[in-house]
Amino acid sequence: MKTTPILEIRGLSKRFGGLVAVSDVNFSIAPGETLGLIGPNGAGKTTLVSLISGSITPTTGDILFEGASIRHLPAFQRARAGIGRTFQIMKPFPGLSVLDNIAVGALFGTSTTAKALQTAREEAREWLELMELQHHADQRADELGGPDRKRLELAKAMAMKPKLLLLDEVMAGLNHAEIDDVIEAIKKVRRTGISVLVIEHVIKVIQRLSDRLLVLHHGQQIIEGKPEEVLEDPRVIEAYLGRRRA
Amino acid sequence: MTLRTKFVLALAATLVLAALPWFAPPTLVQFGIATLLLATLAQGWNIIGGFTGYASFGNSVFFGLGSYGTAIAMVQWQLPFGVGLAFGVLLSVLFALVMGIPVLRLRGHYFAIATLALSQVMTAIVSNLEIAGRNIGLVLPLLNGDALFYELSLAVLVLATLTIFWISRSRFGFGLIAIRENEDAAASMGIDTTRYKVLAFALAGIFSALAGGIHAYWITFIDPVSAFDLSLNVKMIIMTVFGGPGSVLGPVIGAFVLSAISETLSTEVSSVASLFFGMVIVAAVIFMPRGLADLIRRFRKTGWRYFSENVRSHRL
Amino acid sequence: MQLLAQVLVNGVLLGGLYALMALGLALVWGVLNIVNLAHGALIMLGAYVGYYLFTLLDVDPFIALPIAMVVLFCVGYLLQAGILNLIARAAMFNTLLITFGIDVVLTQLAQMLFSADYRTINPGYAGANFMLFGITLPWVRVLAFAVALLLTLAMWLFLLHTRLGRGIRATAQNLGAARLYGVSPKRIYALTFGIGAALAGGAGDLYGVVSQINPYIGATLTAKSFAIAIIGGLESPLGVVVGGIFLGIVESLTALYIGPTFVDVASFGILVLVLIFRPNGLLGSTT
Repeated sequence: MKTTPILEIRGLSKRFGGLVAVSDVNFSIAPGETLGLIGPNGAGKTTLVSLISGSITPTTGDILFEGASIRHLPAFQRARAGIGRTFQIMKPFPGLSVLDNIAVGALFGTSTTAKALQTAREEAREWLELMELQHHADQRADELGGPDRKRLELAKAMAMKPKLLLLDEVMAGLNHAEIDDVIEAIKKVRRTGISVLVIEHVIKVIQRLSDRLLVLHHGQQIIEGKPEEVLEDPRVIEAYLGRRRA
Repeated sequence: MTLRTKFVLALAATLVLAALPWFAPPTLVQFGIATLLLATLAQGWNIIGGFTGYASFGNSVFFGLGSYGTAIAMVQWQLPFGVGLAFGVLLSVLFALVMGIPVLRLRGHYFAIATLALSQVMTAIVSNLEIAGRNIGLVLPLLNGDALFYELSLAVLVLATLTIFWISRSRFGFGLIAIRENEDAAASMGIDTTRYKVLAFALAGIFSALAGGIHAYWITFIDPVSAFDLSLNVKMIIMTVFGGPGSVLGPVIGAFVLSAISETLSTEVSSVASLFFGMVIVAAVIFMPRGLADLIRRFRKTGWRYFSENVRSHRL
Repeated sequence: MQLLAQVLVNGVLLGGLYALMALGLALVWGVLNIVNLAHGALIMLGAYVGYYLFTLLDVDPFIALPIAMVVLFCVGYLLQAGILNLIARAAMFNTLLITFGIDVVLTQLAQMLFSADYRTINPGYAGANFMLFGITLPWVRVLAFAVALLLTLAMWLFLLHTRLGRGIRATAQNLGAARLYGVSPKRIYALTFGIGAALAGGAGDLYGVVSQINPYIGATLTAKSFAIAIIGGLESPLGVVVGGIFLGIVESLTALYIGPTFVDVASFGILVLVLIFRPNGLLGSTT
């Protein structure tokens, strides 16, 4: 039996002037699956997320979401189709309260009907509580600390009710205890049955969250497979882990 | 203060303002018309600048198109004032749609400068148009009825303020605020940023054009330099920023307070009034960059430290 | 053909002065991220320094030029150190607004002190010109053009080859970098703004020689300086020279072939088009 993948990337490349940031990448994500994407700095990970979410357009290749090409859709229409994302550099709406930040996700996102602000705030409360942010509901978003900010990013994206969530280095800047904390939060997200693309630097996170792993190096994918196999592969150890563990 | 008390207070203030022509001297009514129109313009700027975060220097173009639309319809085509006003609004909305789409793609300073340049282009184009009386301008039919102009201006201001009240608690308004706070994140959450920005621009255009049309008929004379006067655009910004950008009543209060001060001073010496205006801008930006609305909200808690904290958080 | 050549030469000569006008604005914008709406007012002040030195003390405008630059440097230094440094980290439109406020104050002060009358700096050689290949070249404009280019070149060399110049360029990338050059950011900000104002002062003095001045010329000159900085891009003084000459030629051609009242339509229309299609300037990269 073969189901349509939620996301399929076909021969995707992106060139910036002379620099090839992403080169001929192919992979797919099944419904409910979590795919981990690792690679050293400058491997093209964030570029890949931006290509999928639509903030930049690919040079060649195609992106299929639920079987249909979304290559020519602008970012907001991809969000409406069901692609949610977080940003490596956190992008809350600083002047809005924490609750209203999440409410923006509920107001827009995949929701097609114009709903009242009150309804959106009620929907937002659900993720506010799941992400344990209820004590900060009325605070300004830019007053939140590190891990709270990450959970806010997750809550904002999840309030959109997406089918696919792109997590771009959510752990950046967190310490060990905080990372564990946020991993638990992401597990809650996964329990909703959503498909996830996790982009991460921290191996521990990738190991604990992904069903399958993809390694990117200099914009090219060098291997794809089960986490334990991929992490043992000599090419991966050389390209990425070797230097880190040495 | 609950929303209900605020609403009752605003209604009472509006009724008092509406009754003003029956007991006030004519000079005060005239000052009232000018101030109400400025407040309307400030509210227009509030939509695109305060809520959406786009520092427009093109709003004086809306005012100018409103003025000229009304004047051309009345003088050249002998149409009634109401039709002229609608024509002015139409021109303004068309301008917002046609120019807004390319120009609103620019961000920050670039948007500000593009709109500034557009307003120069429009001044120059209008001063070369036969139908607009070239650089001499147009003389509108005289209507002696300051009370009527006053009530009309007040009605437009109330309409603008109610619209902004609706914006502040609507899905549309949330979209605009999200764009102001972080445009990339807004797009990635499903907000059609281009459409929202253009709509906000057009909405700002409607109110500015209404103010322009009423002003033209009231003054009975328009020329390109005064109709597209850039310093009018700057006044909109100052009044909005002084009162509180992105708030419902801030720009109105800003317009009333600054007009009153400026009027008092200009009866003494006129150039002193402008000088004072310049100094108020400088001082306001340094000491209360988030406007009166924020000052009133936070002053009780922080006291005089409010000002030094503002300076401390923005200085080098 | 002769006429076209003459118009092109006029445009180029005007463009040199335009480049100098825009150079200070581009420097302050590029390094401090301040779009200085008072730039035109600083040019206006420079013009009045030249005017009063000439009428009261009989100082030749080309000799007055360095004095105008020094005076405006001081004005600029004090403005940045005393006022603008206080809002260096404020939101973009607050910076726009405060420089507009400064513009209003300077313009009103100028009107109170110097009156609103039109003035010109009129040295004895003002009407003198010479012919080259049948093209008339007014001495004053040729000299102004040469001085403007020399100052631009000097500015470029200063930024590239002096310690302070490198410090200023480094500050454009990263505020903390100033410290590596042994200067506090506050001082480097004030110095940069001072240099920008000095360039405006020099441009103003030259402007007073080739054109009429009054306290209100600032707004148009600010707008033109923007146009030039945008068309040329903020990256190098060379871009500003290209932008200045480009605008000078466009204005001269428009005035001749379409009509003098369309000059502003052309220059600001081009500015809008450049902003929309090539936001990094005509010479800038396209990405």
